[in-house]
Amino acid sequence: MQHEDFSPHDSLKVIQSMLEKTREDFSRDDFYFLVWGWVTFIGCTGQFVLKNLLNSPKHPLVWWIVLPAVAFTIYHSIKEEKKSRVKTYISESMKYLWIGMGISYFVLSMILSKTGWGNTVFPFYILLYGLGTFVSGCFIRFRPLVIGGICAWALAIGSVFLDYDYQMLAAAAAILISYIVPAYMLRSKIKSVTA
Amino acid sequence: MNEEKDNPLSGEESLKLINEMIGKAKQSYVSKGIASIVWGVLIVVCSLLTWAQVQYKFELGFDVWLLVFIAVIPQIFFSIKEKKQKTFVGHDEITMRYVWTTFGICIFILSFYSYKVYGNNTASLFMMMYGVPTFITGGIFKFKPMILGGLICWGLSVGSLYTPLATDMLFMAACGLFAWLIPGIILWNKYKKNQACNV
Repeated sequence: MQHEDFSPHDSLKVIQSMLEKTREDFSRDDFYFLVWGWVTFIGCTGQFVLKNLLNSPKHPLVWWIVLPAVAFTIYHSIKEEKKSRVKTYISESMKYLWIGMGISYFVLSMILSKTGWGNTVFPFYILLYGLGTFVSGCFIRFRPLVIGGICAWALAIGSVFLDYDYQMLAAAAAILISYIVPAYMLRSKIKSVTA
Repeated sequence: MNEEKDNPLSGEESLKLINEMIGKAKQSYVSKGIASIVWGVLIVVCSLLTWAQVQYKFELGFDVWLLVFIAVIPQIFFSIKEKKQKTFVGHDEITMRYVWTTFGICIFILSFYSYKVYGNNTASLFMMMYGVPTFITGGIFKFKPMILGGLICWGLSVGSLYTPLATDMLFMAACGLFAWLIPGIILWNKYKKNQACNV
């Protein structure tokens, strides 16, 4: 295998296959996109329903849904880490991107809870949703993620002009467009390629 | 030329070629560290001037942060010039372009928020945002000073929640120093050393 000769064309094919491999890995990891996408979507729409339709003063409590998602993510990532996978340049880039995003979400939550901008939190989160998905889409050259990221930024700017209640719906829309839909599209694309 | 084109490469040679491509890209973009130094100096200077204005109660008569936009012009000029001279763009460079373009867009949106809704008290948010591309760049290039720089930005962002505006500006200057200026100087020194070795 080591002594086999291959042409520059074959070398490019190797690079292409690395890209495909990362897409495939990412598609396997779309689990995270889907879990967090759905959890956030349920959080946003749930809070909207509790606050506006059921008039419940305890509407922010819906966000406790995040805790089991965190536990599940940690458990799943530890389990996956044990499985040996080929590390590619793109998969390593994705790893640092999402570690960075995770820390940023945490820091942002601290900032928003301390500054008391309780009524204007969503535009900031939408901004970060866009950041993560746009860069991911560029890394793996998957257009729906790139478009999702751009749409999230448009919603991040537009939502500043909305009332808090409608900011929730803007966040739900951003999650749907930038996380959930692209994740399902990537999954079906990989399935059709591998079939 | 044709002969060279048609010659099949061994597996080892192909890997060498890929490594060389990565090396070239690193040398042209990251190793120089010029952009990092420019932005580091700019953030440190703007933050310290803002700090001095708050601390000593005087006004310069213009918004010092507008200097950031002035610095964008030579940045665009040099990147266009560099682009014209190049025959090859590495994957690293493309990756970095995505990360830093995204950072630029997010800083623009944050500035819009700051202007539109939240007033001047947004230093913590900017410091949080500084951490993102710095950490990712450091991670991708396995360059520890930038990983550390990103973590420092996030730490100072949280710290600034408990300090007055003047101190926030000192924190901001520290972000510029640790995230960009120091890593940029390290990269520049490495680049110069490499050049000296190649002569």
